Amino acid sequence: MNFISKYWAIFRITLINNIAYPGEFIGRSLMIVPFMWIFYQLWKVTFAAAGTDTINSMTLYSTMWYLMMAETIELSRPQLAKTISDNVKDGSIAYILNKPYNFLLYQFSNSMGETIFRAVINAVFGSAVVWWLVGPPPEMLGWAFALLALLGTWAMNFCITCLIGLSAFLVEEVSPFMWIYQKFVFILGGFLIPLDFYPAWLQSIAKALPFAYMIYGPSKLFVAPSMELFVNIVSLQLVWTVVLGAILILAFRRGVAYLTVNGG
Amino acid sequence: MKHLKFLLAVWGANLQSVMEYRASFITQALAMMFNNFIYFVIWMIFFDRFKEVRGWGINDMYITYGVIASAFGLVAVFFGNSFVLGDVINNGRLDYYLSLPRPVLLHAVSSRMIASGVGDITYGFLSYAASGQFSWDGFLRFILAILLGAMVFAAFLILVNSLAFWTGIVSSLSNLMVNAIITFGIYPITLFDNYAKLILFTVVPAALMGALPADFVRAFTWQTLAQLLFGAMMFLGLAITVFRLGLKRYESGSAIQIEV
Repeated sequence: MNFISKYWAIFRITLINNIAYPGEFIGRSLMIVPFMWIFYQLWKVTFAAAGTDTINSMTLYSTMWYLMMAETIELSRPQLAKTISDNVKDGSIAYILNKPYNFLLYQFSNSMGETIFRAVINAVFGSAVVWWLVGPPPEMLGWAFALLALLGTWAMNFCITCLIGLSAFLVEEVSPFMWIYQKFVFILGGFLIPLDFYPAWLQSIAKALPFAYMIYGPSKLFVAPSMELFVNIVSLQLVWTVVLGAILILAFRRGVAYLTVNGG
Repeated sequence: MKHLKFLLAVWGANLQSVMEYRASFITQALAMMFNNFIYFVIWMIFFDRFKEVRGWGINDMYITYGVIASAFGLVAVFFGNSFVLGDVINNGRLDYYLSLPRPVLLHAVSSRMIASGVGDITYGFLSYAASGQFSWDGFLRFILAILLGAMVFAAFLILVNSLAFWTGIVSSLSNLMVNAIITFGIYPITLFDNYAKLILFTVVPAALMGALPADFVRAFTWQTLAQLLFGAMMFLGLAITVFRLGLKRYESGSAIQIEV
């Protein structure tokens, strides 16, 4: 119990820290408003040009709500890789490593405190705009399935961004890895265009990689909830989380062995 | 001329600074090119599926994307501090520039080089070359277009960040505005109705950074050139005026600052 309560405390502290500066947070979250508006312009014209209401089982309505969920996920990601790489580069990681908690669980609790608050604010603004543009949100089952799948998304994202941050043990600058990771999420995750609109061969590639289960999975569940899809997505999220988590633990152990901290 | 010599000296020092970590510099430039390409793949997928959006096709995207990437890169490389000018103002770091006998704004914005910008500039040229609309006179127009686009972008950054003189922290607003101008800039201008276009030429001048310069690259008209020049001069004039007005309100934090 004590084990859980200390990470719960870390989570709470980060959450409270974020709530302490609501203006700054809300300002950052407003980005979703122009994004949703521009997506609406693009897809409204695209559906009109295609001369149909449904393209590959997606309507303008479902596309917009899909994109709202995708944007909420993407815009809620904290800059974990940068934080960890800064800790490694300036040596402050030494102050975290010698505390009586697990470094990875500390980072996870910390990042979740930031992610959840961001996700809520982004979802509120995003939903308000999309509701105004295309009508009310999908049924409650979609919300429930998407929320559960979001846990998998956050766990997978944590493993990958933490791995990128820890690569600072070996390389000077980790930003290029973050840019490339972000763009893989954009393309293979179905962030800007739902995977349903991709050619079949690219859909197959995307679905064989973890990125699709981070963005497409929860977003598709949100607009087209079904038990079969839910089981499929959550089970693949679990598999990827175990694989990525194992790689992360190995990388962390190797990285700490490399670490040299000078001075104090 | 005096300012140009000064700028060349600052840029030279910046270059030496980023080249100190040569491997990191090259990695960042190459990664940014790859990053831009991957992002563009999304448009390739989109136009492969939907062919065109109100007359706007993939070749138009190559040019628009190229103009924006290079214009963005020029500002990142030569005026990299304009992205964080609000923090410079807010943290009292203008003291350093105020104490030297050089133009404060010019010195402040030019004293940082973002290495990845080199990748953006290069990618922009490659994107234009791949557009299928390359010609030598078009290439010269491309260079002029990215210079004018960069002027608008730098002016916009200075304008937004100068609000720090009045409001304090502007980093969120600044990020929001940078994302907005880039996002709106790379989307086909034909998507937007007249009201939206008015916004894209004024409040968030994305059209002056993307669509209009791209039009100029595709075909020369005096009207487009005049619009580009007018837009660039207007925004630059406005940015300098707002910065100067704000500077009158500037209060030093008395902190000891070291500019590295």
